[in-house]
Amino acid sequence: MGVPTAAIVTIAFEELAKSNAASRGMPGERICFTPHPMTNKTDAEMYQVLLGKDPVTGKPFMKEVIDALTVPLTPAEKVTGSVRPSTGPATYSDTPENLQRFFADNNMTDFQPIILPTEDKVEAMLKGTSHSPEEIVGKMSAGIPSAFPAWSFNVRQVAINAVMAGARPEFFPAILAIASTGQTAIFSSTSSFARMAVVNGPFRDKIRMNYGIGALGPFNDANATIGRAWTILSKNLAGAGLPGMTYLGTTGTNFNYNNMCCAETENALPDGWEPLHVRHGFKPTDSTVTLFTGWSLTNVCYFGLPYHEMITHWLTHYFSTSNFSAVLVLDPTVAADIKRHGFDSPDAFRDYLVKNAKTPAWLYWQRRDKEMAQAKQGVEPFASYLKMGPDADIPVSRFEPRRFPGMPPNAPLPNTIEMFVMGGGTNTYWLGGDFRYVVTTSIDKWV
Amino acid sequence: MSINRRKLLSMLGISPAVLAGAPAFGRAAKKGAPETAGRVEVLNPKGMPPEIHLIPMAPRLASLDGKTIYLVSDGFEGADRFLNQIAIWFKKNMPSVTTIYRLKAGGLAGDDPKLVAEIKAKGSAMIMAYGH
Repeated sequence: MGVPTAAIVTIAFEELAKSNAASRGMPGERICFTPHPMTNKTDAEMYQVLLGKDPVTGKPFMKEVIDALTVPLTPAEKVTGSVRPSTGPATYSDTPENLQRFFADNNMTDFQPIILPTEDKVEAMLKGTSHSPEEIVGKMSAGIPSAFPAWSFNVRQVAINAVMAGARPEFFPAILAIASTGQTAIFSSTSSFARMAVVNGPFRDKIRMNYGIGALGPFNDANATIGRAWTILSKNLAGAGLPGMTYLGTTGTNFNYNNMCCAETENALPDGWEPLHVRHGFKPTDSTVTLFTGWSLTNVCYFGLPYHEMITHWLTHYFSTSNFSAVLVLDPTVAADIKRHGFDSPDAFRDYLVKNAKTPAWLYWQRRDKEMAQAKQGVEPFASYLKMGPDADIPVSRFEPRRFPGMPPNAPLPNTIEMFVMGGGTNTYWLGGDFRYVVTTSIDKWV
Repeated sequence: MSINRRKLLSMLGISPAVLAGAPAFGRAAKKGAPETAGRVEVLNPKGMPPEIHLIPMAPRLASLDGKTIYLVSDGFEGADRFLNQIAIWFKKNMPSVTTIYRLKAGGLAGDDPKLVAEIKAKGSAMIMAYGH
């Protein structure tokens, strides 16, 4: 940029700041550190931080800031040129026990035992696709691409990771499809993102995926290993998942172990309901994988109301502390009930939910100072909303389609509520979570 | 907590030699373990990180006296209040320094070329908070 700069970062992000500066070409960037967190400090407390010491160097904080701007550059800080990062030798040789330890110690696994990626196992995996081993599959970033430079990878490298996850060669096209999206399973954010992968089309049955009883549980090798491969390849093909550097989720999430990989129960869809991938532009005979991103799921079974009403209440109330997009996973029995109440398609049901979900008053009035002032002056509809009282449900939906940060300006507005049908029909359960749609991509392309 | 930058760079696949100012290309291949029965060879599962173009830091100022420093918030909650405290500190301790506050466009990670141009034209240095 050409301007002397002192960057100030809170101590919790020391590793991230230093590693990020290095991976973006300025390994010696002058960074001054404050305690963490800062956001909840009063102005007076913040001023005291300025009078205190940098927790990394132990030097007076403001002296560090001034030094960052005035101390002459060292020769290392003036270096130009390029560095080609090395990720190690092409092969490793040792006993199986030592290699298991080595892979785990170097954060190349999910810390469960792996299948060691020997040449013969990788060659067998490569038989699962017609694509050349050297073909570039895509690029993947550990988080926001402008902050984490994307790594590239080829078919062979995906195959190595697929072997490690325990996948069979016949599963490989689905793993390549997921990798080709460039979406990491372990996105760097303090918020502990989870991911979900849903397979549609004939490929589900070809590899015997589970979309019946226990489809989200540990009961099927395809579901288990395709989902696991996504996490392992995210670590190795994108440099994702280094805690403190390329992973910051404060609690982390157990979902990252296999990313809720499952398939849609297409054979039990209500009449007229199209599968998930068809609603996203593919043919019923296409095989695809759809990725979602979010955080959590709720497992619900309630008999007091028809499901369409129950889910509307869930969106209004339970969902009030979550973001403004939802994914519903409907057991076939629940989907059938929704259809019985007149919803001839998932889109019709989604439109009903978008229109009928309300906003609790306590949430509605948060950060609406202007509307509150208008309400007090008798301006409608705010005046009526205010009269409804603090426990009311304000008739304003939070699920109208909207732009998400970083969306291209011309991109169509995404659905705020997505759904698919999955489950064994053993009871009328449905799952709802604060997920949103990311992408649907072809598996057939990678066969 | 203090992080060893050399160790950290190694974990990123970047040679710590960059800290010494010499461009480096790769690290030494792992030395083989002692010969034992049952030893196997496995493939490295890593992808290909992009080439890193080293960026020289901007020359530093001889002093801050009489200079204009931009206080730039990346939009993280509270950064504006924190930078205001820095402005107050300069007023009390280095009154010849002029501070100008700006909120960077583009969120935490995005570039703001318009602001950069303004700082280059009107300022001498920048303090940015809180980056992470």
